[in-house]
Amino acid sequence: MNPVIRREFVGILRSPKTFAMLMTLTALFSATVVLQWPADNSSVSGTQSLQVFRVFGYGLLAGTIFLVPAFPATSIVNEKNNKTLALLLNSPLSGLSIYIGKISGVLLFSLLVLLCSLPGSAACYAMGGVSLVNELGALYFLLFCMILQYSTLAMLISSHVQSSDAGVRITYAAVFSFLLVTLIPATFLSGTTLLPSSFLTAAEWLRCLSPLPAVMEILGDGDVGTSGLKQNSTMTRFLILTILSSAAFAALTLNRLNYRIFDRSRSKGTITNDRELSTRLVRRLLYVVDPQRRKTGIPWYLNPVMVKEFRCRRFGRSQWLLRLIASCAIISMLLTFLATTSAESWGVTTIGPLLVLLQVILVVVMTPSLASGLISGERDSGGWEILRMTPLSTFRVVTGKLLSVVWTLLMVLMATLPGYVMTVLIKPDLAPQIQMVLICLFWITLQTLAISAAVGSLFRYAAVSTSVTYVTVIGCFLTPMLVWLAREAPFGHDTVETVLLSTPVGAALNVIGARGFEDYQLLPNAWWISGIISAAMFIVLSIQVWRLNRAV
Amino acid sequence: MTTQAPAIEIKNLTKRYGEFVALDSLSLKVQKGQILGFIGPNGAGKTTTIRILVGLLKATSGSATIAGADCLTETKAIKRLVGYMPDDFGKYDNMRVSEYLDFFGAAYGISRGKRNKRVDEVLEIAGATHMKDLFVDALSRGMQQRVALARTMMHDPEVLILDEPANGLDPQARIDMRTMLLRLADLGKTLIVTSHILPELARICDVVAMITKGKLRAAGTVDTIMREIQQRRTFEIMLLKEAHVQQVAKKVTDWVESEGKTSDKSHQVATEVTPAETERMVRFSTALTDEQLAPLLGSLIHTGETILQFREVATDLEDAFLYVANEGTQALGETPRASSPISQGASE
Repeated sequence: MNPVIRREFVGILRSPKTFAMLMTLTALFSATVVLQWPADNSSVSGTQSLQVFRVFGYGLLAGTIFLVPAFPATSIVNEKNNKTLALLLNSPLSGLSIYIGKISGVLLFSLLVLLCSLPGSAACYAMGGVSLVNELGALYFLLFCMILQYSTLAMLISSHVQSSDAGVRITYAAVFSFLLVTLIPATFLSGTTLLPSSFLTAAEWLRCLSPLPAVMEILGDGDVGTSGLKQNSTMTRFLILTILSSAAFAALTLNRLNYRIFDRSRSKGTITNDRELSTRLVRRLLYVVDPQRRKTGIPWYLNPVMVKEFRCRRFGRSQWLLRLIASCAIISMLLTFLATTSAESWGVTTIGPLLVLLQVILVVVMTPSLASGLISGERDSGGWEILRMTPLSTFRVVTGKLLSVVWTLLMVLMATLPGYVMTVLIKPDLAPQIQMVLICLFWITLQTLAISAAVGSLFRYAAVSTSVTYVTVIGCFLTPMLVWLAREAPFGHDTVETVLLSTPVGAALNVIGARGFEDYQLLPNAWWISGIISAAMFIVLSIQVWRLNRAV
Repeated sequence: MTTQAPAIEIKNLTKRYGEFVALDSLSLKVQKGQILGFIGPNGAGKTTTIRILVGLLKATSGSATIAGADCLTETKAIKRLVGYMPDDFGKYDNMRVSEYLDFFGAAYGISRGKRNKRVDEVLEIAGATHMKDLFVDALSRGMQQRVALARTMMHDPEVLILDEPANGLDPQARIDMRTMLLRLADLGKTLIVTSHILPELARICDVVAMITKGKLRAAGTVDTIMREIQQRRTFEIMLLKEAHVQQVAKKVTDWVESEGKTSDKSHQVATEVTPAETERMVRFSTALTDEQLAPLLGSLIHTGETILQFREVATDLEDAFLYVANEGTQALGETPRASSPISQGASE
């Protein structure tokens, strides 16, 4: 047996956290079915079992997406930083053996995650109406292919990054791009006559990179982004793309698994101020804020911790922030324009919910990456002790850190304002609803920030805090949506309404008039609940910071 | 004659974690401008002491003051008075050295104009001016230590507490670090330096404190401690033939034991004799005086042994530390730690 497989797999299994996670998953999957198992056997019908199967299927998809990428994302970078990769490369094991060992360890673990769901799937099958091969088998096969794709992608990212924290962050961002961003072009381009057909074909193929359309097809939900047109080739395209992309990711990672992985020269610290005039002028044109320009000191009126956070995050550096904001502004205007000019069925009432969802996704994907490491990153790097030795008060340190995230998120939210302005221009009577939506978005951002900062602060290592925070935040925001998906059965109207109150996402969609959200009364309770959750999370953060900061 | 108030004064400092005593009534004084070498094995209580001094930990009992400020109650004043350089560098990604120092200057409330000057000054003192525009996460260990020292000096503290500043440095960098620390002492700074590289400390420290198991075992100038240690000296007898090593070792043991019985200080005479066959050497350490030892050589020659050399091994701080550490463990009724390679007669 490949020693790397043994070490990787056994290593993962030995962790008490893994055991707890697998047990929790088994309990959750079983509970989902038990809760929905009909009390009266006579009521078992194909329709009801299909509804249970839908909830189970989406839950399984969400579970694998949240849990699996964290392990391969840190696999190579941890090995590199612990100096054990050099030992492995120096052993008679080839790069291919090491790679196969590592990926097999992850895949075996993923199989265990899938196995945990067997009680649930068996119950679904026992209820009848669900085909063993065409539905259950297809779902498991598709999920396994998706795991293969995400694992190879995560390992490729892990082979390029310099810290496990960065590995986790970039992997989750990439996974969510594959899952959701790939759907956007096809969703908005369908039916348009402005672009050549080759663009539409490319968008169709790109859409199939996401497992969501194929899963929806298996679960009998039609397909996302096809405007009601059934796409029979979705599953086949997904499998082709997954196998090809996984092979490409594996080849690229293998290409890194040699001594070149360590071959990284130290930055020379080039400064634009010291370069020739022509170079300075060119850089001035290319960068609004040149990252290589010598910085002036931190002014007295700014919180030094906030400035430090901006400067020490690559993403937080101003030129990246400005690029992101510009991209968001352009995309939001473009989406509104394309959607209103493409097909008859696309009106502002359709584009509104999509804009809200896009913003929620942006906030949910970005915030844990920015906020989870505020405290744990500092503890991980050894900076916390040094910060404690400065006269900065705990309050100033925490507010500086939170402000660095708040400003970034506010700017991102502001960047999507042009889309709403355009919506209001097209349909002025929507203005009051848009205002309510913006308030909901504010609460969503605050709640995400509070959860990310509080959960992230509970861990000693940045990579762990990032993974757990992602799982928590996405779980918090996705669970109400999964419950809403099962709104007709087995969950009743009141249950769905109560669950939707846990985040203001449902409220925002309700206000903007999204299909399926009209019947719920969510405001202003959703704002109150969001405020209470945020306050509770900030209290948790304060207690944790106080605990870490006290001399005992 | 005027008595200057000590820069650092520790009185009966005790730190307990439940049943475990991390620090046991530690008392110590360091005068202004002195360099104190704080020596102890891993887990001895050095870092605990330092963390109490800088206000990161609370003592169970006792007191500690730095320039008159109480370390336990006046933590704000302590933060201004003390520059602490932990073993961990505390790097931030994507930050240049100048930005890094500027941040800590701002954290200490230094105005922007003064801060720019101060960054240049501390980099100059640390010999790191050329690193100003480099990224801190791209620095080598030696460079990081210089920048860390510069960071520690940003707010011009009276007392510098440096935890293992020479750790991981190459010989040249260690020499540079030593020079820097001496320069800081010349500037009137009081320094507490911990290190495992004892010869480094011996060269720069005015006073040394040795701690094991939370207890102070010895304190004073390097010379004072050496004199105390010299009461128990190490000797080497080099032989012509390897085969005679065991035989000579036995003769030395018997001889020293018989001599010890007649000595007034028989309790101090306990001797360790170590044969090292591959080196054709017998080593022993003893508290016997020159007068008592002198007949040993004659006795060995008289019994027919061919002696090439009979010499005393100079004791350094390392031996002194090991001696003190072993005394400490013996006092606690534990098995003594292995002695230094010299006194063990390591033959590999």
